[in-house]
Amino acid sequence: MIPMRARSRHIVAAPAVALGVLLAASACSAPGDSSSDDADSSGPIKLAVVDAQSGQLASLGDWEAKGAKLAVEEWNKKGGIDGRKIELTVFDDQGDPTTGTNIARKLDSGNYVAMIGTAESAVTVAMAPILKQAEIPNITSGQATALVDVKSPFLFLNGPTSTTYDSTLADYLVTTKKFKKIAMISNNGSYGKGEHDAFTAALKEAGITPVTDQVVTTDQKDFSASLSRIRQAKPDAIFIGSEEVEAGLIVKQSRDLGITAPFAGAAPQGTPVFIDTAGATNAEGTIVSSPYLSNEISDASRAFATAYKAKYGKDAELHGAKAYDGTNIVLTALKNSGGATGKKLADEIRATKYAGLLGNFAYDETGVGIFRTTIGIIKNGKLSAAQ
Amino acid sequence: MSILTSKPALILLGCVAAYLLPYGLNSYSMHVVDIAIIFALLAIGMGLVMGVAGQINLAQVAFFGVGAYTTAILTTHSGFGFWTAAIVGLAATVLVGLLVGLPALRMQSHYLGIVTLGLALGFVNWITNAEITGGADGISGIPVPPFFGIDLADEYLYYYLEIVVFGLALAFGTFVVRTRLGRRLRAMRDDALAAGAMGAEIPLLRMTAFMLASVYGGAAGILYAGLIRYVAPETFSLGNMFLLLAMVIIGGRRSLIGCVVGAVGLVLIREALVDFAVYAQLGYGIVVVLMVVFAPTGLAGIPRRVREAVGRRRKNDDVRSAELGPYLPGPAPAAQVPESGADSGPALEISHLTKRFGALTALDDVTLTVRQGEIRGIVGPNGSGKTTLFNVISGLYRPSAGQVSGVGRDISRARPYQLSLAGMARTFQNLRLFSQMTVRENILVVLDRSRTSTVWQYAVWPVGVLSNEHRLQAEADRVLKEYGLTAFADAHPQSLPYGIQRRIEIARAMAGRPSLLLLDEPAAGLNGEEVGQLSSIVRSIRDQGVTVVLIEHNMGLVMSLCERITVLAAGSVIAEGSPAEVAATPEVIEAYLGDSAPADIPVHAAPEVP
Repeated sequence: MIPMRARSRHIVAAPAVALGVLLAASACSAPGDSSSDDADSSGPIKLAVVDAQSGQLASLGDWEAKGAKLAVEEWNKKGGIDGRKIELTVFDDQGDPTTGTNIARKLDSGNYVAMIGTAESAVTVAMAPILKQAEIPNITSGQATALVDVKSPFLFLNGPTSTTYDSTLADYLVTTKKFKKIAMISNNGSYGKGEHDAFTAALKEAGITPVTDQVVTTDQKDFSASLSRIRQAKPDAIFIGSEEVEAGLIVKQSRDLGITAPFAGAAPQGTPVFIDTAGATNAEGTIVSSPYLSNEISDASRAFATAYKAKYGKDAELHGAKAYDGTNIVLTALKNSGGATGKKLADEIRATKYAGLLGNFAYDETGVGIFRTTIGIIKNGKLSAAQ
Repeated sequence: MSILTSKPALILLGCVAAYLLPYGLNSYSMHVVDIAIIFALLAIGMGLVMGVAGQINLAQVAFFGVGAYTTAILTTHSGFGFWTAAIVGLAATVLVGLLVGLPALRMQSHYLGIVTLGLALGFVNWITNAEITGGADGISGIPVPPFFGIDLADEYLYYYLEIVVFGLALAFGTFVVRTRLGRRLRAMRDDALAAGAMGAEIPLLRMTAFMLASVYGGAAGILYAGLIRYVAPETFSLGNMFLLLAMVIIGGRRSLIGCVVGAVGLVLIREALVDFAVYAQLGYGIVVVLMVVFAPTGLAGIPRRVREAVGRRRKNDDVRSAELGPYLPGPAPAAQVPESGADSGPALEISHLTKRFGALTALDDVTLTVRQGEIRGIVGPNGSGKTTLFNVISGLYRPSAGQVSGVGRDISRARPYQLSLAGMARTFQNLRLFSQMTVRENILVVLDRSRTSTVWQYAVWPVGVLSNEHRLQAEADRVLKEYGLTAFADAHPQSLPYGIQRRIEIARAMAGRPSLLLLDEPAAGLNGEEVGQLSSIVRSIRDQGVTVVLIEHNMGLVMSLCERITVLAAGSVIAEGSPAEVAATPEVIEAYLGDSAPADIPVHAAPEVP
């Protein structure tokens, strides 16, 4: 029998000594994952989609998963890769970086060959070191420059960075339209602030200082104070760095205040939600910088949109298109390399030239494959390419 | 004599299991366990501030963030080494902890919850927008913590770092809870007003509680930064704050082990249900509600509730069957009563004391003097200001005008804890025992006469705390024996009969070896036999050199026990003198008994108690 009523001093000492001895021993034989990384080359090829399926970012995650599923389904219909089926599993990161790292470890343990997602840059950055260690290539839908700063050879973007959106837009406004007086209004949320910083930098590059720079909050509903200042500045164009609904409200209220200058912005300003909120007449003439202006932009996009509508009963949009492109790139690289994994697959992705919905992908060493967006203009309530 | 726990074998078993655990896990499970330990650390901090100290703190996730972000910023921007940054990070977290604790000095319960929630929100907003925190992109590229050549990039080895920190943190937390600081924190949680009157410095204790929580939060943040090596605002969101809250509530906030079980359990369950996140969230919500309604003490409290239920059914609960022991007066130490300064003046002197509450004058120009070693009775009809008088004397109320001096100095503006430490003790009309603590712990709270500012000992010299603890436990045994309470030492007061609770209140008040004892209706609710016992106890206390002032409605007791009696009516003194003199005063008869015959005031009717 162990004496249960020992003096307290011994109680503290005994486990401490024991732990010390055990720790000393651990230096000799460290525990580790004994499972080998040999992917078996006969069974199905395992791909993972990691995106928020719950929480605030769930709709984004849902669009992404739909795009990726569509691509995998098309490949499987054609017989898969070298006769192997492609198996796609959707993981829910809940928009939480810590959960993301858990999933990254799970992908490693589960021998997934590549990952599609996530749409949230912070989650992707958190996962990147683990995926790099595990040598799992990852094509993300994020567009933050932080993704490039990670400098992981296993991380790729399925679209341009936010810098590209805004430098293309600034270039169009300053060089093509010869605007000199540009006003800015953006919100202080993460998206708005990113847009604000990128566009300010792009303008500076072009040698222009904004005539006024208004910052609003993400939940503001009345913008008259900021808009009056913008009216006084008499700008040639107004840049909006904000999500769909708020941007729509800003445009509506500015027209009420008699501001006639056109608005300019990135992808959110090309969406039906924005146009509906602002009202088609008010949104007329809005200049949009986006890699995917609409489903009507090319034969490929029309085919994609038709297949998407047939499968899900909903209209396709930018995020689904991006995930569709990213998945196709991974699968093309897999096919070209004969089902390679790890570093070989990453190299193959970098070497893949792919004509996608967003344009012609050609990756550089930073993991960015698309370096341009297209300028579109809203006419009669529809977004179409600028002439 | 259970300082940590009486089961060293269990602890040893736990250590061996913790050591062997990684050998059975794949890299994914190992990562999840690493995360779970970090949440367990956070949960211990929450348990200390919320469960032990009773301070609602919804900013724990901000402490977590401050620790992680400070480490991240200092290592990536300023080129600090990881461990240097970690130490600065911990210091920064403690500073933030004290800042978040400030509102607790002014407000409590849900107000405190709202304020701390606001501060947590403010923190997330700040890190999302500030330049130095990298905004929404966060900070990546935090270096791997160097550790004597051990590669901590390996999550298996990182686990050992975590488990050692966690083990130390849990041991320290348990040490705090079971020694004098923890007892004062729990006393404050159960009844802040009574705790103050028993010598606990409430404002300092509240700050200490927040400081403890921030140390655990900061340590968790540093470990997180070293493990994930990337920080972003989403990790410190309110969603995670509520997850943490759920862990602590489900596990049982009053038990640190419960908090750990809740944290580890919820992390694992969350991982298992990751594909059903929407339903899982709903599930957590339902479980939390069910827990709050049906098991407010959480999982940790269930074993005790089961035991109590079984005990009730068997009806052989040894506590219930135990008899209140006889009162065994101690060897009249009179150690605390300085005989210096011959006669040393009156024990209590009140001159022209007035207390107003708005337009109501509760005490009107009260003057009275109590000699050393006297038993003074204060009587008067309901609402005559007796308890208000006690509250002013014991420092709960500030006088509107007039002077109070006692325990050797002017005490008109003294705080309750100062008066308690200076030698004044009191009981309460409506029992104010610390309900979630055992009888022994109730006594121990008062036996500890140290200033709260000596908590530095915990950080610098815990052995000093421990040796002091042995002395306090021995004294508690003595007090329990003296008041015949040994059989009830480990019972909770509210499970005991009323008479015993009254006895505990007196024992608790006397544990501080006061020179002045205020008893507020000590005989209320007692049966005849118990009143007799009370009478002998009070006399014995006086024989030890303690001055006793008591408020009482039981005229028999007052007339037989008190040497002098002061009669209050409508806030004024209307008579003072020996029992016989007072009973004969016409004003007293009028105020107290109306106009009816004065004959039956039982001056000599009370039985002489043995």
